[in-house]
Amino acid sequence: MDGKRPRGPWAKTLMALAIAIPLYIWSWEATQIDLGKLVQDAYKAGPIVGQLLRPSLLARGVQRDRLQVTLKVPCAPGETYEPQGDLDRLQLSAHCLNPRDPLQVTGINLRPNTQGRLYWIITGVEGRLRDERFTTDENGAFTVETDVPPLLGENPGEHRLQAELRWEAGSLNPSPALRTTAEKLIETVFLALMATTLANFFAIPLSFLGARNIMPSTGWGHTVYLATRTFFNLTRSIEPLILATIFAIWVGFGPFAGVLALTVSTVANLGKLYSEAAESIDPGPIEAITATGANRIQVIWFAVIPQIVPPYIAFAVYQWDINVRMSTIIGFVGGGGIGMELSRWINQLQWNAAATAVWGIVLVVTVMDYASALIRERLV
Amino acid sequence: MLQIQDLVKVYEDGTQALKGISFTVEDGEFVAIIGLSGSGKSTLLRCINRLIEPTSGRVIWDGVDITAADPRELRRIRRQIGMIFQQFNLVKRLPVLTNVLTGRLGYVSTWRSITGRWSRADVERAFANLELVGIREKAHNRADELSGGQQQRVGIARALMQEPRLLLADEPVASLDPATSHSVMKYVEQLNREMGVTVLCSLHFLSLARTYASRILALKDGLLVFDGSPQEIDDRRFKEIYGEEAVEVEIR
Amino acid sequence: MVHETPSAPSLRRHPALAALLGLLIPGLGHLYLGRRERGAAILTTALALTGLALWLELTALAPWGLPFWLWQAWEARRYAQGRDPGTLRLLLTAAILVYAIGWQVTEIDLQRFVANAPKIRPFVVSLLRPNYLEREITYASVRIQFTMPCGPEAPGPPPTSSGPGPVLGLDRACADPGDPITVYGEGFPPNLEGELWFENTIGDRARLHHQGELVDFVAGPDGRFQATVTAPEVATEQPQPQFIEARYVTEVGPLQPSETARLVVYRMGETIAQALMATTWGALFAVLISFFAARNLMRVHPLTFALYYVVRTLLNILRAIEPLIMAIVFVVWVGLGPFAGVLALTMHSIAALGKLYSEAIENIEPGPIEAITATGANRIQVIWFGVLPQVWPPFVAFTVYRWDINVRMSTIIGFVGGGGIGFLLQQWIRLTDFRSASAAIWAIALVVTVLDFFSSEVRKRIV
Repeated sequence: MDGKRPRGPWAKTLMALAIAIPLYIWSWEATQIDLGKLVQDAYKAGPIVGQLLRPSLLARGVQRDRLQVTLKVPCAPGETYEPQGDLDRLQLSAHCLNPRDPLQVTGINLRPNTQGRLYWIITGVEGRLRDERFTTDENGAFTVETDVPPLLGENPGEHRLQAELRWEAGSLNPSPALRTTAEKLIETVFLALMATTLANFFAIPLSFLGARNIMPSTGWGHTVYLATRTFFNLTRSIEPLILATIFAIWVGFGPFAGVLALTVSTVANLGKLYSEAAESIDPGPIEAITATGANRIQVIWFAVIPQIVPPYIAFAVYQWDINVRMSTIIGFVGGGGIGMELSRWINQLQWNAAATAVWGIVLVVTVMDYASALIRERLV
Repeated sequence: MLQIQDLVKVYEDGTQALKGISFTVEDGEFVAIIGLSGSGKSTLLRCINRLIEPTSGRVIWDGVDITAADPRELRRIRRQIGMIFQQFNLVKRLPVLTNVLTGRLGYVSTWRSITGRWSRADVERAFANLELVGIREKAHNRADELSGGQQQRVGIARALMQEPRLLLADEPVASLDPATSHSVMKYVEQLNREMGVTVLCSLHFLSLARTYASRILALKDGLLVFDGSPQEIDDRRFKEIYGEEAVEVEIR
Repeated sequence: MVHETPSAPSLRRHPALAALLGLLIPGLGHLYLGRRERGAAILTTALALTGLALWLELTALAPWGLPFWLWQAWEARRYAQGRDPGTLRLLLTAAILVYAIGWQVTEIDLQRFVANAPKIRPFVVSLLRPNYLEREITYASVRIQFTMPCGPEAPGPPPTSSGPGPVLGLDRACADPGDPITVYGEGFPPNLEGELWFENTIGDRARLHHQGELVDFVAGPDGRFQATVTAPEVATEQPQPQFIEARYVTEVGPLQPSETARLVVYRMGETIAQALMATTWGALFAVLISFFAARNLMRVHPLTFALYYVVRTLLNILRAIEPLIMAIVFVVWVGLGPFAGVLALTMHSIAALGKLYSEAIENIEPGPIEAITATGANRIQVIWFGVLPQVWPPFVAFTVYRWDINVRMSTIIGFVGGGGIGFLLQQWIRLTDFRSASAAIWAIALVVTVLDFFSSEVRKRIV
């Protein structure tokens, strides 16, 4: 630091800036960064974040009380109709009506302070037609004004009006979202396990072809080495998600496509790591065992295998960890695992359920991360 | 009797490691090979059991041309030639006992060896050899848990398993401290004296060679520059071998 | 490898009883022999796997659990006899059941894999033919009008198109769907090859078929041809004018970059820019945060140490969530486009870099700091000369590495609408435009491989 600096560094810094500044300006433009929108539209994210912090974990069972009475639509003038059903508790102002006629529905002796809803069950039409909501008073009674939907007129005959009361009861149980999340997380972990295991059957032999010290340094040996390494590098550069999209075409949506995609990317990842591990083995023991008059198989068994097994296992466990992460998103493109449910819940705006999945992922990934670090520490 | 005839080794990068070396070693001799690093000592030793393939020249042992042996024959020859190394070259993750037993690989079938079904006699012999080098109690330790001197003794025990008639030692004590060096060299000497094993041992320091060897070969730039008894090396010879600047150091 | 006989357990038990207990309840045999840890481990494994199989309704897999069940009982017997059976085989037998469950859960179906292989053939073929270049092709066509379907009144004479140039003729003036129509041509350039197209009243066009094959025509040396086509379906029941068209190439332009190539280059640029912005933002925030996540700096006071744990936990949680998942939330927030992707990648980069940076800070050596303090330097000087030189090389290395990872990630962030090349790629795959997909994939492979090489070179130089 004596002031007599050579000019080089300044020129270099200027040049670096000359490249960096336009690059950043262009990048800013290209990525359409808009901090204003980020702040202005924060309200859109607010509810999501709020719900993400409240995952759906427990839910009570839902109890239902259904009452129904029959009625006739349309009603010929002067026609008499004998209704049937729960007439003692569900009473209508009339049972023989025409479309759009006003109708008063009264319920008595029901569960007090309970929410419910009216439904029309129309003869000849699938499902139920929703109508007014109601809440019973402390005596278990309600009264609702409605009118006859025109759809009943299009299917003349006997129809039913249904009043359904719903309330939560019973003990707290794991919510459906939690159950699905748990099931899918298990699938996710197994998906990663199967992919890692299957990949090993290919990665181990390939890793020898990709190790400079194992392949002969002449002619075709070097060619095979280069070809293997190129295959590893090219395949590694394609994200498993892209592979999963392709395998979904091949074997259809589902975890199998995910297994195949992860297997291919794992073969490339592990192949590269394995062959690097094989390249860094100590040649000393090989020399020593060869000098005892051992044959090639014995040399590999006693001098090569003991050196590569621990790093291979460490890398495999590490890759399993990575694959669990990957298989949490592989479902987005139809590759099975938790990602499939997560993307479905998000698309249906069921943020509480999505939160359950996200927190489940955090838990599993963290545990895997910790466990894999622990195993690797012990091995190396 | 081991005959080396006009041995030449040129590496792929063009380095001439050995430029035509010839000598003869009688059975039971303890020959030290000295010289600076890069003078060709290691190459010479490895050319004898063809861990390194010589470029030309011949190595003849008891009338058998090692340089002409086919792979099968070469393994039969190798199993009678023990070798110990500067870096010990043990399989670090395997137990000491297994490391010693690998010395029998040339004698047992592939299947028996890789399934670990060593004969009782071999296991007993392994324990006996560990006893001989004084580390029987370490038999079940992993090799890398041992100190340098102990590891080299495992190396000697491994070589002993081969029941060698010739022992090649490549700088066996260069990685060890002086006191340990002497204890290791004593075991080598014991092999030579009591079992009649011919020893070819490369050494960096002249003082060790003077103490243990019955004959000294000196290499310089791939050429044999001295062949004689330890007493014949005087100051002039020493400077010839190690260069003008060198001073002889005593290893105690 | 050699196993020495282990020292026999002090209390001799009955081997057959040990095996029997083991058969009854896994692990019980071991517990009886006093091998509590192993017994408990076996029992836990058995319970966990059984529970899992029951829950997932995979009870049919029970036979796959048999080896484990039998082996652990056998193992108990051998222990009782004073022999050591080793652990490897126990693990292997347990693995049989684990993999059997995994096989079922992940719906592995090799038969489907093989049977459906033809489905992927077009993709593999296209992979070798990315369409970066294409020729501009000029077509000429000759049209002839006729009527479909045939009406109640009698059809007129078979039509002929009017010149100048090549002319077309038909063997009938009207046709019903499915009728064979013979098309005549004359005055075409000799030996010309071309395609026959159909155009309906509202201008929808399609290639004409006959007996399941696309119909091409080849003019003879005299410039004439004759071809038979099948009248296609039409949406109308009223007789309407329709057209048959003979279409042929008049001019093939030179090879030039295709529209796909233009899109790929543009989106690839966006991808790299996204990664650059995310890495830069991520690094800036991560540097600030890393000081709060460094154990050695935060241990000075219980309050700061508590903050350390909070920051670390937050970073760990954030790191566990894949950027793709975050991108969905940001798409809701700021809308579709590269900005959402930048934000998602930034969040993930903050978490990943924050952890790495703070570990780098934790690993600095106190020696140089001590030495510089000993020279009488002030605090800023100590940081400048003692801390920064130790910290910046790993910081730069991690950042460059992160950029590399971010480029990979941003190739897929478009799958959920986060911008970059992923969106196009996914579209092309869905639309089975495999040659364009191939163009995108090769571009990704090139860019990622180059960046991978570049980042590893930078890291090699720095560290």
